[in-house]
Amino acid sequence: MRVEGDPLMQGVCSCLDCQWRTGSVISVNAGYPADRVVLKGEVREFRRSSDSGNEVVFRFCPACGTTLNWDLATPGVVVIAVGCLTDRDFPTPNIAVYGHRRPDWVCLANAIPEHFG
Amino acid sequence: MTALREARCACGSLRLTAEGDPIGGGVCSCLACQRRTGSVISVNAAFPEARVRISGASRSFRRMGAESGMALTFHFCPTCGTSLWWDLPDVPGVIAVAAGCFADRDFPQPRGAIYFENRPRWLGFAEGTRDVVAR
Repeated sequence: MRVEGDPLMQGVCSCLDCQWRTGSVISVNAGYPADRVVLKGEVREFRRSSDSGNEVVFRFCPACGTTLNWDLATPGVVVIAVGCLTDRDFPTPNIAVYGHRRPDWVCLANAIPEHFG
Repeated sequence: MTALREARCACGSLRLTAEGDPIGGGVCSCLACQRRTGSVISVNAAFPEARVRISGASRSFRRMGAESGMALTFHFCPTCGTSLWWDLPDVPGVIAVAAGCFADRDFPQPRGAIYFENRPRWLGFAEGTRDVVAR
């Protein structure tokens, strides 16, 4: 997967679905205009409904299981799994959601606002 | 009473039940774990195989850790892609479970974090989880 430019937004999530998908206690995600994300190679799709009732389509590698990106309810926006870029200097998340699901030992920088609800 | 915890994949067709607390584990930010999880940390918990029960179909993926040089076999759900557990070749009879799949914020806190040099600066851990140099 290749992305061009900086993301529209980037966030940290600890919802149950993200924890089950990643096997981690946080997911790190970034939204891009769909035309700035290029995916290469064989892809399998996994569909589920989001908390808000929309269908989300996740794209993962059938050989190793890694989910690289998915569609958001917002048309024309693709969300990517930031860890797959393996770049510690990727822009800092500007929102954290589902903080009540996150273990207490995980500490995010104070600059990352928590969004509840 | 012994804790009985259930871990599952994103679609719920692959499940694992672990009895008792993990005997080891930790946080890892190696590049291979970042690629697998799509997150910047993996959280891992080791259990004796005898205390784990697995149900559902899985596929396996063998990876050579770029940094550790360790060959690990991961088991993932073919429907949704979640890697639920993997084998630890150095420790026979023990497996590692992707601790996030328990989705339990009260799951025992990991004591160590390895490959922390790959971890973004905006993320840290409370006392009790120390950065350690991987062997």
